Amino acid sequence: MMHLLKKELSELINKQMILGLLGTLLLIILFGGIMTNTVTESMTVSGDLHIVDCDDTEFTRSVIAALEEDGYTVHTADTAQDLPALLEENGWKDAVVIEEGFSKAILEERTAGKMQSISLLTSTTSMEMLAGGNDSLSPVRAKIKELLMAQVIGEDMKFLADPIKTTPYTVANGKISQTDTYTLINSLSVFDKLMPLVLFMLIVLTSQTIITAIGAEKADKTLETLLASPVPRGRIIGSKMLAALIVALIYALTYGAGFLVAILMTMSGKDGSLDVAEAFKSMATATKATQELGLQIPMWGWAMTLVQLALTLGIALMASIILGALVQDAKGSQMASLPILVLTMFPYILSMISDIRQMEGIAGIVMRIIPFTHTFTATSCLRFHDLPMFWGGLIYQAIFLAVMTFLALKLYQSDILFIGMPRIGKKKEKN
Amino acid sequence: MNPALDVQHISKAYGKKQAVNDVSFQIQEGEIYGLMGMNGAGKTTILRMLATLLKPDSGDALIVGHSIKTQPDLVRASICYLPDEASAYRSMTGRKYLAFIAGLYFDEEKEQKTCVELGEQICGLGDALDRKINTYSRGMIRKLVLARTVMPKPRLAILDEPTSGLDVLNSLDIRKTIRRCAKEYGTAFLLSSHHMQELATTADRCAIMKDGVFLAEGTPQELLERYNAQTLEEVFERAVNGV
Repeated sequence: MMHLLKKELSELINKQMILGLLGTLLLIILFGGIMTNTVTESMTVSGDLHIVDCDDTEFTRSVIAALEEDGYTVHTADTAQDLPALLEENGWKDAVVIEEGFSKAILEERTAGKMQSISLLTSTTSMEMLAGGNDSLSPVRAKIKELLMAQVIGEDMKFLADPIKTTPYTVANGKISQTDTYTLINSLSVFDKLMPLVLFMLIVLTSQTIITAIGAEKADKTLETLLASPVPRGRIIGSKMLAALIVALIYALTYGAGFLVAILMTMSGKDGSLDVAEAFKSMATATKATQELGLQIPMWGWAMTLVQLALTLGIALMASIILGALVQDAKGSQMASLPILVLTMFPYILSMISDIRQMEGIAGIVMRIIPFTHTFTATSCLRFHDLPMFWGGLIYQAIFLAVMTFLALKLYQSDILFIGMPRIGKKKEKN
Repeated sequence: MNPALDVQHISKAYGKKQAVNDVSFQIQEGEIYGLMGMNGAGKTTILRMLATLLKPDSGDALIVGHSIKTQPDLVRASICYLPDEASAYRSMTGRKYLAFIAGLYFDEEKEQKTCVELGEQICGLGDALDRKINTYSRGMIRKLVLARTVMPKPRLAILDEPTSGLDVLNSLDIRKTIRRCAKEYGTAFLLSSHHMQELATTADRCAIMKDGVFLAEGTPQELLERYNAQTLEEVFERAVNGV
């Protein structure tokens, strides 16, 4: 028994497997760190409050003073004339506007005092949604209730239950629109989250398909037969790419359709049932705000995004053709797809929960070097008018694909295909 | 007229290991040439260089006058290569596999059809050709891939261990097919083998290899006389041990 067990283990655990495992572990640690930092930063409530006190009464001043006593750093302004400029100049992500007459309404007239909740929209990521849009609103509302109850306790408890009427506004691209940030993000997600998912599926499936196919061809020696036939090498590579692409498209369209239904369900009702009419109504409402904020993507933008999608797929396929050619056996095929999987998964997940465009330092550089990142951030770049990153990413991907194609063609004309690379599971050459 | 194969001082190294060292030989049309040698002697490296899968470090080989270094596309149109232990696409039926291979060599449908018919005849698998290849025995697969190698009637067929792992009857069938194709279609054969007796009964001429060089070359009869031996096994032993 032990004799057989040792033999099985020696076949499963080899240098190639350990190197691949360590490499993947390093990548996971690296990207895991980046992701943890991003999530932590996004979820941290700063303790800074931004209040535009247009009412400027003793009551509102007492609210601000009480908040400062509670440990908040309160930043104030006294005019709501140009809120986009106010947010941009002061670097605020949100603000609460206490409208003129607020104190009179709640203290004397016993009607709801009017406030505005201003949120700056910079991306459509999950982190933006988790942050809730306006960190200043809740503490201000709570303090107002507290002070109000201290003054009027016992008079009108129904009024005290909800003494504030808030109108949500969203600021993006230097413009403002009366719309709830959460609803807007949810609406834009239909496109901005569907495309990365489809792309993720395409890359993973095509890579796995190609690497496995080439690995099997090498094992069966059918690849040698093909390459010794009078068919140009470029055609052999192209055929493999195309076949994998077709299969992957079928998978991606299927999964994409499923995901689209899921999104429509979330938009169409609170009970999770699918109401297409309600979903499209919700989308139409959000479309008005999208246009007001300049968040709509023009036709040329969609066309160029499709070009980026094609470039990204091309890169993944070429990388797979190269990796597939370098592996020496079936086990190698399984390990070979891991780099592509990892390099796709992290930009994909990060693009879902955070705004990669705003990542700085080494993490930002690493993410931008990964060619797949640029397609995951394409719609965000276009919505928030970050054209340098969009065009830069597209040009980078085109150059990357050209280099990968050149390397693939060179590889298929070289000896490496059959004698292998040093230290990549190379078997002793049989003569 | 150009020989089917003219190998000129060909060499190949893997790092520091010299796999093939300054080897030259010729094969004429319709001739069967056998390479004998132990594992690591350099046989497969020679075959892969001639199949344009590996590039020689120095020297060249002309296949019906085309250089493997400068005219690999023309070379590939003149050869068919059967790797050691080569299989076929298992999800295909035997007949579809032959049709697929024919499509690699011929553009015209009529030529492809003729080629497939020849392949069907050579492999002798009959109705089994309509079954998927993953149901075939090892011997059946070997007959199928040999048929696909010779059915385009290449000027040179390169066979690496064509009977490796086969039983006696299947091996005999393969040898008969090789001799028949060489005679009927004028195809030159270059084949490697560990089995001396196989080469003694199949090859017109043989070469004995060790450490990338030719130790001896000639017809089986010439080698037997030169080494004063009864069998090619004895010839091989004496040549390799320098007796």
